[in-house]
Amino acid sequence: MISERLKKTILMELQLKDFNFKDETHAYLVPGWDSLTHINVILAIEKEYGVRFTTTELLRLKNIGDLQVLINTKCPEDS
Amino acid sequence: MLFNTLQFALFFLIVFLLYLLLPHKWQNRMLLVASCIFYGIWDWRFLTLIFASITTDYLCSLKIHEANDERIKKRYLIVSIAVNLSILGFFKYCNFFLDNLQQLLNHFGIMIHGPFLRIALPIGISFYTLKTMSYTLDVYRNEMKPTKSFWDYALYVAFFPQLIAGPIARAKDLLPQILAPRKFNLESFYEGCYLIFWGVFQKVFIADNLARIVNPFFASQPPYNGSTVLLVSYAFAFQIYCDFAGYSNIAIGLGKCMGFETMANFNLPYFSTNPADFWRRWHISLSTWLRDYLYTPLVVSKRYWKKWGVAFALMVTFILCGLWHGAAWTFVVWGAYQGAILVIFMGIQPLLPKISPPKNMLLETIWFLGKVLFFFHIICFGLLIFRAQSMIQVFSMIQGLVSNVKFNQAGTSGIFSGIISFVWILILVELLQFKTKDSMAVLKLHPAIRAIFYCVCLFLLLVYGATEGSVFIYFQF
Repeated sequence: MISERLKKTILMELQLKDFNFKDETHAYLVPGWDSLTHINVILAIEKEYGVRFTTTELLRLKNIGDLQVLINTKCPEDS
Repeated sequence: MLFNTLQFALFFLIVFLLYLLLPHKWQNRMLLVASCIFYGIWDWRFLTLIFASITTDYLCSLKIHEANDERIKKRYLIVSIAVNLSILGFFKYCNFFLDNLQQLLNHFGIMIHGPFLRIALPIGISFYTLKTMSYTLDVYRNEMKPTKSFWDYALYVAFFPQLIAGPIARAKDLLPQILAPRKFNLESFYEGCYLIFWGVFQKVFIADNLARIVNPFFASQPPYNGSTVLLVSYAFAFQIYCDFAGYSNIAIGLGKCMGFETMANFNLPYFSTNPADFWRRWHISLSTWLRDYLYTPLVVSKRYWKKWGVAFALMVTFILCGLWHGAAWTFVVWGAYQGAILVIFMGIQPLLPKISPPKNMLLETIWFLGKVLFFFHIICFGLLIFRAQSMIQVFSMIQGLVSNVKFNQAGTSGIFSGIISFVWILILVELLQFKTKDSMAVLKLHPAIRAIFYCVCLFLLLVYGATEGSVFIYFQF
């Protein structure tokens, strides 16, 4: 389940009004989220939650659901 | 064995008949043997290199999956990458490195004369190396579990339709199709036959005929007429596209006939309006490989550099992409050019939404065509660098483009009409595909129109098709 906080952060960064995020949604299916904007989204999430992800953690993410799980492990109050 | 020869047609017919007769397990074993024969006809000794890569990645992936300790996982990943890149580096880049070292030392007055060991380039090495590496990387990233069946994994790497020049299919897509029994599907078989037919047409009629315009020009000496340079760059743009997309269509079609689904490798690349769009449409299996296994790790690790990190990752990725194509400075410069136009595009991208397109439908179409044509010329310029014999030739051609443009010169109109006579049918098919957003649009045409299409293609192929069975350009990579 994708939290409202994560959804809002992604939507703000990509300047989207709304998007139906599901656990299995792949980043590149979200309008505007491509290889050039990928790090902007990651940096925005790190700033929002005050966390830092390792490169390996980020490379192992398969979808938005995995990103939410990773945030939950680093930042339990969001889960 | 080339796809565009009768020898291959006979080979595939035998393989296909055996395939239909055998049960699933023996289909896979037979396809592996057929793949070894297909490759071994060029040079059976290089089969040892393929099996060295297969064995390394098979074992490393199992060890990565079994290990609980992150350091052990990383160690086996490094072993796999080191073995694969060492083989690729030695066989593909050793000559290039030694030649450049010799020139550098000579420049400083240290005279070294050959002969150096001239190493033969094993065909398809760049393709199967990326394929086998992606498997281990996916297992390391927990994207898939490794298979225990060595022979099925070997078939994934050596599968003959994709062995020489891709598409670089991912293990998570192709391996499950190898492991599970496949059902013969008449619709898939028909689509496969169409792709083979269209691929052969692209190669034998379009690409090989355009090669007769392109090759003599690049073999000629300067000075160059700018208008000829421009027209030949168009000819080469269509030649390389039809050569490689033709190969990919045949490879995908062969797979489809046997029940294998493979990712599309091209999606109307000359309809792109910007470099990011182009790389989503051109050699998709390579561009997504580079994105997932090179660009993304680089950009993620350098994300605190912000835009500079993206620029750095793009430049490194595309310079290596150029070098992957061949061990020559022209490929490196072409890669840097592609990286640079992507960096520039990234810089201007935020401004683009502010340029509002015309509201009128006709003006909107003209606006779109203008963007397509503008970007097509940017691609053509890159392809001049890609095809040139040396950077000196590139500079001579630029000089011709800048200061020696004569449109009424003899030969120019001949080249133009030559290009049109070979590409008109491609343009019609692609406009249809673009309009319907369907790569199989031809198969959905009215049966009478389809019959005319097949007759025209067959006539052009038989009467005007190049008969020499020339090698596909991407075989050298």
